[in-house]
Amino acid sequence: MSVLEVRGLSKEFGAGGVLHRARLHAVDDVSFSLRPGRITALAGESGSGKSTVARLIARLYDPTAGKVLFGGHVVGRRRRDALRYRSQVQLIFQDPFGSLNPAKTVRHHLARPLRIHGLASRRDVRARVEELLETVGLVPPAAIADKYPHELSGGQRQRVAIARALAVEPRVVVADEPISMLDVSIRVGILNLMRDLKERGIAFLYVTHDLASARYVADDILVMYAGQVVEQGPVDQVLAGPLHPYTRLLIESVPDGHGGLAPIELRRGAAAAAVDPAPGCRFVDRCPLAIGVCRERTPALVEARPGQAARCHVTAPAPTNREDIHAQPAA
Amino acid sequence: MTVALSTLPGEAAPVAERPVLEVEELVVEYASRSRTTRAVDGVSLAIAPGEIVGLAGESGCGKSTLGNAIMQVLRPPARIASGRVLFHGEDLVRLSGEQLRRHRWRNVSMVFQSAMNALNPVLRVSDQFVDMMRSHERVSKRDAVGRAGELLELVGIDRRRLRAYPHELSGGMRQRVIIAMALALEPELVIMDEPTTALDVVVQREILQQVRELQRARGFAVLFVTHDLSLLLELAHRVAIMYAGEIVEVAPAAALRDDARHPYTAGLLSSFPPLTGPVERLSGIPGSPPDLAAPPSGCRFHPRCPHCVPGDTALHRRQVAERPVLREVAPGHLVACHLVEEGL
Amino acid sequence: MSQLQPTIELAPATTPAARTRLRIPGWPALLLRNPKSRAGIVLVGFMVIVALIAPLISVSNPTDFNLLAARQAPSWHHLFGTTDQGSDIFSQVVLGARRSLVLGALAGLLATVLATTLGVLAAYSGGVVDEAVNFLTNVFLVIPTIPLLVVISAYLKSRSMGTMIVVLALTLWAFEARILRGQALSLKNRDFVLAAKVAGESTWRIVFGEIMPNMISRIAAAFVLVFYVSLLVDAGLEFLGLGDTTHVSWGMTLYWAQTNSAVLQGEWWPFLFPGLALVITVLGLTLILAGIDEVSNPRLRDEVRRRGFLRSLVLPVRRAA
Ligand SMILES: Nc1ncnc2c1ncn2[C@@H]1O[C@H](COP(=O)(O)OP(=O)(O)OP(=O)(O)O)[C@@H](O)[C@H]1O
Ligand SMILES: Nc1ncnc2c1ncn2[C@@H]1O[C@H](COP(=O)(O)OP(=O)(O)O)[C@@H](O)[C@H]1O
Ligand code: SF4
Ligand code: SF4
Ligand SMILES: [Mg+2]
Ligand SMILES: [Mg+2]
Repeated sequence: MSVLEVRGLSKEFGAGGVLHRARLHAVDDVSFSLRPGRITALAGESGSGKSTVARLIARLYDPTAGKVLFGGHVVGRRRRDALRYRSQVQLIFQDPFGSLNPAKTVRHHLARPLRIHGLASRRDVRARVEELLETVGLVPPAAIADKYPHELSGGQRQRVAIARALAVEPRVVVADEPISMLDVSIRVGILNLMRDLKERGIAFLYVTHDLASARYVADDILVMYAGQVVEQGPVDQVLAGPLHPYTRLLIESVPDGHGGLAPIELRRGAAAAAVDPAPGCRFVDRCPLAIGVCRERTPALVEARPGQAARCHVTAPAPTNREDIHAQPAA
Repeated sequence: MTVALSTLPGEAAPVAERPVLEVEELVVEYASRSRTTRAVDGVSLAIAPGEIVGLAGESGCGKSTLGNAIMQVLRPPARIASGRVLFHGEDLVRLSGEQLRRHRWRNVSMVFQSAMNALNPVLRVSDQFVDMMRSHERVSKRDAVGRAGELLELVGIDRRRLRAYPHELSGGMRQRVIIAMALALEPELVIMDEPTTALDVVVQREILQQVRELQRARGFAVLFVTHDLSLLLELAHRVAIMYAGEIVEVAPAAALRDDARHPYTAGLLSSFPPLTGPVERLSGIPGSPPDLAAPPSGCRFHPRCPHCVPGDTALHRRQVAERPVLREVAPGHLVACHLVEEGL
Repeated sequence: MSQLQPTIELAPATTPAARTRLRIPGWPALLLRNPKSRAGIVLVGFMVIVALIAPLISVSNPTDFNLLAARQAPSWHHLFGTTDQGSDIFSQVVLGARRSLVLGALAGLLATVLATTLGVLAAYSGGVVDEAVNFLTNVFLVIPTIPLLVVISAYLKSRSMGTMIVVLALTLWAFEARILRGQALSLKNRDFVLAAKVAGESTWRIVFGEIMPNMISRIAAAFVLVFYVSLLVDAGLEFLGLGDTTHVSWGMTLYWAQTNSAVLQGEWWPFLFPGLALVITVLGLTLILAGIDEVSNPRLRDEVRRRGFLRSLVLPVRRAA
């Protein structure tokens, strides 16, 4: 059923000074699975660990704990296993100006994956490259193929990056904020492209902080806060009835073009990154619903509605902890 | 949800006052040996005291150039080829260097695109405030630091962070520092060029909310530049849409949301997926903005316009040959489009 | 494969997003377009041609004794005059060009290959490799080139050109390696390198196929710099008498002129012509170096200027108050 599964994934980075060696918990015990033909959105504010998850899946980082299962198996460390994985799981980067080599033509970017994985003979490469360019809507392909990245607009570059990811005919594509650096009028084109590609059975992880675009393309959504998944479920259900207070804050913050600038609670407390986190809910300093237990015990991800889970003592209490809810509200 | 800003009680968009700023037929060019790019081509715009005017459009349509021209900070190869920029009736284009220096920041201040990186990395926040204030008025260092502290608190930053260096602040905090600096000398007009584009939604919302509250309390006017039209519809009293160096539509925010007339505005509006309601496939705007060194003839939007159907019609002949001018279609709602004009 | 609807057409060559960037096929052309490097290329090119055709335009043996023709001022017969031994200085200068150019080029090549390979590999691999290379560079950096060469030249039996080249390259590579490592470090974490990794490229191909092409201008600069320093050091050592006395080179001509107190005799030509050849070559190389800098940095310079400009607006200059 699922093509890629992430189980208990964690990544820590060293932080702080020489004397006090603190650990930054960039990703903390994240689990989810990606299914063919579905787009899963990964939302959250900047610094919440979204890109780190993306890079862990792309094997650009080694996880501190947990594992990534592909087709039900842990991927080996030998180069042959790694190569096979890379021919199935691809990553699209946020910055289309940085992810293409300025010294190489578009053709090089698309031909290399084909050659590395032996997917096209020397003779077929040319035709296959042009086919890929056409797939992502870059026409005429023959002219585009010989251009250098600086000769393309941002949207065109991002399409090249997508074409590169598609070159190996992957089963999983992780797209890390693929539209956030692009002009508004180009964004829709990329989003539509993703919608069309998912019809081919590719499993997408769409990393974003833009909930409206998540709703536009995705089937499911994961919301991250300070390294943890705080809510997950079908995207329509979550956006229509968010459980976690952070998801609510995110939704309220989106300018919806309907006037009013509905006021939101201004931030109190520390930033999102979790440096040596104490037990308790990481959102507690900003949470309007916080109660006593929030500072003491870390909430678990609880399926409070069918298919929708959240990490909150108040809105998604664990069945065994129900009595805790009636504890004193936090000061 | 809530009612549109511009119709909130006691908050009607300020009108019928003498504008703080009037831009008249402004033309700004970037000239190099081989080519001249007209980034702003015949723009007229007035901003009333205490009014928030939004300026939206795709990348490269001349928004920043217009902002810089109003602020009079254009550097070669940019130059004002013609037109006037009047601040309370005084033409800024004619001011001398020293007069301009005194005018800037005191009367009109600006938050630059990617301003987050504009703070000096080796100076504490307080020193940057003091430097800026003391270059404009006689004020003791102690008073300047005191005022800086108040300003920081206004934008929601703890006064103790005055001693911080820029790298110790998050992107959102740096952006707020810049906004506080722009407000330091109580200018009548603040130009904000994409002040929140690099930030995530929650921080963006926090900053917008603060800007809105400050503006209400202090009454300065704002020219807010962005490409996020849905954001402007919430924040601004009036919105101007810019395409290829020209303003193609100006309207009160509510009118623009409900009754956008120009095909380009409609395209921009249909580029944002909504957060509520049915999910329909969006079309966006095909193609990309033209090279301003050789803009298309007639209506500059015609190569991308869905209403420009080639054929031997009078309308098509006008679209490809005649430059449409802004005409009032409703009170305060101006559109530059032949189709709209003929439909009147 | 089904075809999705193209929503973006090919934009005109000048999209607003286009930033000018140095790219490989264009940069020799750019160097020719830059006035400084063009002048440099003409000067060095001239010396190269002279070196190539030297045997055709010089007398058979430039160190021939001919006491009858000793100490002659420049004339039609001896364009650059003769030495105190009566050797033809013109022939010495044109044949000397060969040694100087070959020595500089080979030392430059060797040092550049060493510096590039080690510097880029160290930067990309990190960890132990990086530390080992770093240690090595630091060791070679503290070795003082000229004293070492003086010692080696004085003691080594065969002061052949090969020895000189190896010693020069070994003492000069470290400086370049450090610079190239720095540049590679800044490229290493760029997204396009990570993207190549995700595509499945091997370390080797990432280093030489993806990172290095972006460093060509800096590598070329390293080559020219070592070339230039080698040339000067070699001539300097010979002038000081540490060269091989059987050789024909600019440094040796200068050395003989000096030992035989040519100036005291009112003879300027044994100094002027080899000196001039040296100056032309060094000037040419310096100009090429300046050109490379200009061609590869305008974007950088613009950026600095822009940032400075922004800052100066937010913080109107203090002295103006
Ligand atoms: N220094 C310059 N030299 C030459 N042309 C320039 C220069 N700066 C801007 N331009 C051109 O002027 C036009 C308008 O640029 P401007 O920066 O005003 O766009 P913008 O609407 O602010 O775009 P963005 O949304 O990307 O900030 C563009 O075509 C751009 O290429
Ligand atoms: N290579 C790294 N070294 C140290 N800290 C890192 C590294 N990459 C990310 N981080 C930190 O991990 C946290 C999560 O980062 P990231 O995954 O990039 O967040 P997002 O993509 O959600 O904005 C941040 O606090 C960030 O500073
Ligand atoms: S657990 Fe407590 S603090 Fe955390 S989100 Fe829920 S109510 Fe708020
Ligand atoms: S004038 Fe014609 S081409 Fe231009 S925007 Fe209006 S309908 Fe489109
Ligand atoms: Mg990220
Ligand atoms: Mg701009």
